[in-house]
Amino acid sequence: MTAVSRFFEDVKTDEELPPVAYPLPVYRLVMAAGANRDFNSIHHNTDYARATGAPEMYANTSLLLGMWERLVRDWMGPAGTITAIRGFRMRAFNTVGDTTWVRGRVLSTETDAGPGTVDIEVYCENSAGVTVGPGTVRVTLPLREAAP
Amino acid sequence: MTVNQDAGDWRSAWQPVIDAVGRDFSDGAVTLGADRVERGAIRRYLEPLELDCPLHTDPRAARDHGFADVTMPYTGVIAWTLPPMWQPGRSLFGSADRDAQPEHSPINNQDMPLGPRTTGFFATDVEFDFLRPVTAGERVGRRGRRLVSCSPKETSVGRGAFLTWESDIVTDTGEVVARIRTGTYAYEPRERPE
Repeated sequence: MTAVSRFFEDVKTDEELPPVAYPLPVYRLVMAAGANRDFNSIHHNTDYARATGAPEMYANTSLLLGMWERLVRDWMGPAGTITAIRGFRMRAFNTVGDTTWVRGRVLSTETDAGPGTVDIEVYCENSAGVTVGPGTVRVTLPLREAAP
Repeated sequence: MTVNQDAGDWRSAWQPVIDAVGRDFSDGAVTLGADRVERGAIRRYLEPLELDCPLHTDPRAARDHGFADVTMPYTGVIAWTLPPMWQPGRSLFGSADRDAQPEHSPINNQDMPLGPRTTGFFATDVEFDFLRPVTAGERVGRRGRRLVSCSPKETSVGRGAFLTWESDIVTDTGEVVARIRTGTYAYEPRERPE
């Protein structure tokens, strides 16, 4: 469980976030469609996906966005907040039967958005290479000096 | 209409959409999501992500962090602003074909009044600004649906256009809690060899 929060003062530029692996069986894709309401057949039907030009059924947008959120949340803990996501760009399909890894590293702790703000580079990759991003998740972390 | 893959002027079919860049296709109206944000739906959203954070599952932990109840994951903005798939009095499926599609869907570009009718559709990119977390009990929706860009392009999957849309994410009281910019590719798939 992500219960311990990270303080801004403990963050270092270029620090890598612990990566998260998402094996993608049909089962996970179906669970995701039911949970995030993206029922487009390209995300749970091989024949349909292939008819639209994809090699196989593939992960939907909310599932992939959630992967980015989990990577960052696991790292920063419950006291952190996400203020922006940029550069979440699909580059290749995250197809069923492969494993999508989510990776990130701290880009900067010196932004124009004030103290506690951290920019994190995040991307997804699978056996074919980078599939989403790299983009930036901007978060705010608590300041140790302000902690009670 | 369906895009003719052999038509030399397929790009020109998108001109009405290009001409509409800047237009708000919702006329400023708010389209609320089908349901309020509630604990059970948050739990189900977390499951395929295996996202384990007490803000989303433990009301006391959420209160300890200053929230009235558990919070919706930030990225749930898309899921919780989707209108319902079905409404009383409407029919959803009229065919038993294995791959039959629903007669209505809020996610497949079906309500686009201009340009070619396409059968392929997927998101290409997303940007968010989050102003504050949304908590269980709130209802959110989209205000505005402004077309930011339209770029016809042939890709490996077919012919169509990249479209970019902007909306505010608002609560049912009108407070803006996030802003979203979504890129999509609407296209007619290539005919594939048997």
